[in-house]
Amino acid sequence: MKRAFLFGYGNHGKPIAKGLSADGFYVVVIEGEEKKQQQAVEDGFADTYLIDVTNDEHLKKLDIQTQDQLVCVMDDEHLNVFLTLSLRSLFETNTILAISDSIHTTRKLQMAGADKVIDLYEVSANRIHNILKRPVATKLLEGFINDKHQIGFREIMIPEGSCLDGMMTDEYRFEEHKVLLVGMIDRELSNNFIFVTTGINHKLDSGDTIVCIGNEENLGAFEKHIYSSTKDAN
Amino acid sequence: MNQLILNIALALLRSKKYKSVKSFVRDILNNPLNPYKKYLDLTIVFLIISSVLILIYEVKNPVPEWMYDYDFYVVSLIFLIEYILRVWVHNDMSQLIIDAHKESEFLGKEFQIASAIKTGMMEKIHYMLTPSAIIDLLAIFPAYRPLRVLRIFVLFRMLKLLRYTKSITQFTEVLSSKRFELLTLLFILIFIVLTAGLAIYVMEEEHNAHINSLFDGIYWALVTISTVGYGDISPVTDGGRSISMIAIVSGIAMISFATSVIVSAFSEKLVELKENRIIENVNKKKEFLIVCGYGQMAKMFIAQTDGQKYNFVILEKDPQKAQQAQKDGYDVIQEDASRYETLSKFNAAHAKITVLCLASSDVENIYITLNAKSISRKIQVIARASSAQMIKKFELAGADHILLPNMVAYTMIRTAIAYPTMYKAVHAILTGKNIARIDEVRVYEHDGLHDKRVGEIDFKTYKLLFIGIYRDKEEFMFIPSKDEILQLGDVLLVMGRELSLNYFMENYQGGLK
Repeated sequence: MKRAFLFGYGNHGKPIAKGLSADGFYVVVIEGEEKKQQQAVEDGFADTYLIDVTNDEHLKKLDIQTQDQLVCVMDDEHLNVFLTLSLRSLFETNTILAISDSIHTTRKLQMAGADKVIDLYEVSANRIHNILKRPVATKLLEGFINDKHQIGFREIMIPEGSCLDGMMTDEYRFEEHKVLLVGMIDRELSNNFIFVTTGINHKLDSGDTIVCIGNEENLGAFEKHIYSSTKDAN
Repeated sequence: MNQLILNIALALLRSKKYKSVKSFVRDILNNPLNPYKKYLDLTIVFLIISSVLILIYEVKNPVPEWMYDYDFYVVSLIFLIEYILRVWVHNDMSQLIIDAHKESEFLGKEFQIASAIKTGMMEKIHYMLTPSAIIDLLAIFPAYRPLRVLRIFVLFRMLKLLRYTKSITQFTEVLSSKRFELLTLLFILIFIVLTAGLAIYVMEEEHNAHINSLFDGIYWALVTISTVGYGDISPVTDGGRSISMIAIVSGIAMISFATSVIVSAFSEKLVELKENRIIENVNKKKEFLIVCGYGQMAKMFIAQTDGQKYNFVILEKDPQKAQQAQKDGYDVIQEDASRYETLSKFNAAHAKITVLCLASSDVENIYITLNAKSISRKIQVIARASSAQMIKKFELAGADHILLPNMVAYTMIRTAIAYPTMYKAVHAILTGKNIARIDEVRVYEHDGLHDKRVGEIDFKTYKLLFIGIYRDKEEFMFIPSKDEILQLGDVLLVMGRELSLNYFMENYQGGLK
């Protein structure tokens, strides 16, 4: 089971912990305050630690493996930046995610070594622009965020020998499956995400990951289709 | 007779046309937010200035007949009409008569039309006695050329300009807030001038050739106290000089006192004046935003506004944050957006207003939403909510769009952890990064998209990803079939760079946007 270490069980930590365990993660909660740690225990998280997050010795004692995800969502933003920095120095290869509530903190967190920084307001502020300038597109985007809408994203890894293996992005008719290809990670080139809108034709290989949008049902069917095509080949 | 007047009043009251004409006239004369008022104002200002210019020209040169006629008939006639209209729209006589009639019927007493008319007339007379109405009346009189003194009437036209200059109106408003201090000062001034004038008259009437009457004395006193000191009359005796010295000292004291009163009145009102100016300026715009609360969210929003595309004002009740916004160079009004008075200052009738409720508390945001919607349903409200439970409440309050910054961030974190590849795509699309903008293309009547089949349009060449069609009152068509015909008013959703999109629109729509 994939593990996520969640530092901070406050305003932000609580809902994230719930969401992650719903997504099938094993969540380890780490808190500096006893009250919040107790709260986590009450909410049903078995693996909770009460430690001084500024103390490296305490952090080292945590059983953090290389594939574990580290999530820094302490309520105190100074502490959050410091923690990110400590974690980065201790665990060089782990992915560190952090939450930020201002542009300045975002930059600091990035400098401290967080791999991904999620700005609380960036997306929402952008949505205001969208509402004002592109009301229709916003409706669709809203659907991406809350699950009310039918249309969503799906990432699919191309298995070896599937019908997509060896295809060019232009060749394959994604529309027939009622899905659209948004972009991909081409392992041959780099680990960066490439949008189809860059207009470059890519060769799809096994191991590449593609991201599609579409109706949940169709996405499911599409994914099945790709995997089943592997079996056919075998 | 009574019956006849009553019938006329009733007919007027029932006539929609009469009502709409009257309210239009009232609006254009008195409502500064009326978009046509500025044309009326400009016309009047032009008339005033032209008639004054004619007067100045006339001092040295003979005036051609047409100019004289213009001044005498055109300007005067327009001013007369304006005056009559102002008196007319001041109150509703017919309404008063009908109300009085209903009242007397209800009470069962005899209907006295005279008293109703009298109340109405009294109201009108009351209006006619206000300073601005008197100026309007006097400005009607054209300059009577043969008598030079009567040319002074043109000066009343100059005074009429006051009505049309906002800063002078504000100046008088500021001064009237210090009425008590200024009046006290005036009384002291009169007292000192009279005393000094009397003293010099008594002292020097015999010795000074220039002082022949009490008027001369008072004239001298005023000229001395005001520190103007023409020098045409000056004291010659020691007694007179002593009086001058006292008068001069008290004069300086008076002037500094008066200056400080006026300055303090202005510094007290400066913020308010500035804010009024901001509101006035923004009200002239056809479309603007009111950003309530200058917190992280508002800062982020404004920071994302590349090139100040929107007209906006910030409402912030916390003085520190308001000051911060001002330092950052934005128009800010330090007021509570949840107060009716604050939001009602904005031109909801003529402009398209969007209120952004970005305060950090839900209670405040809901209150602002309700407040905005109670002023006009036309105001669009985009509100920020802290949790999903609040959505229902905001919807009930009438918010048009609800933002959930926390929820969005949590979804992003979940996506980032569970689906790291997808995260980049979602993040780029949601933050509107250049490469992955989801944009809309509207189909207009005379463009290259109208009546086209979807299959005919070449999105690929333009490096755009065609997502679907949004048609009014129909469900969103995700990846429509190639044979779908584009209709007027359809909105095509595409994803791609702004560059590609602009090029696409240029070729298909001739650059329409």
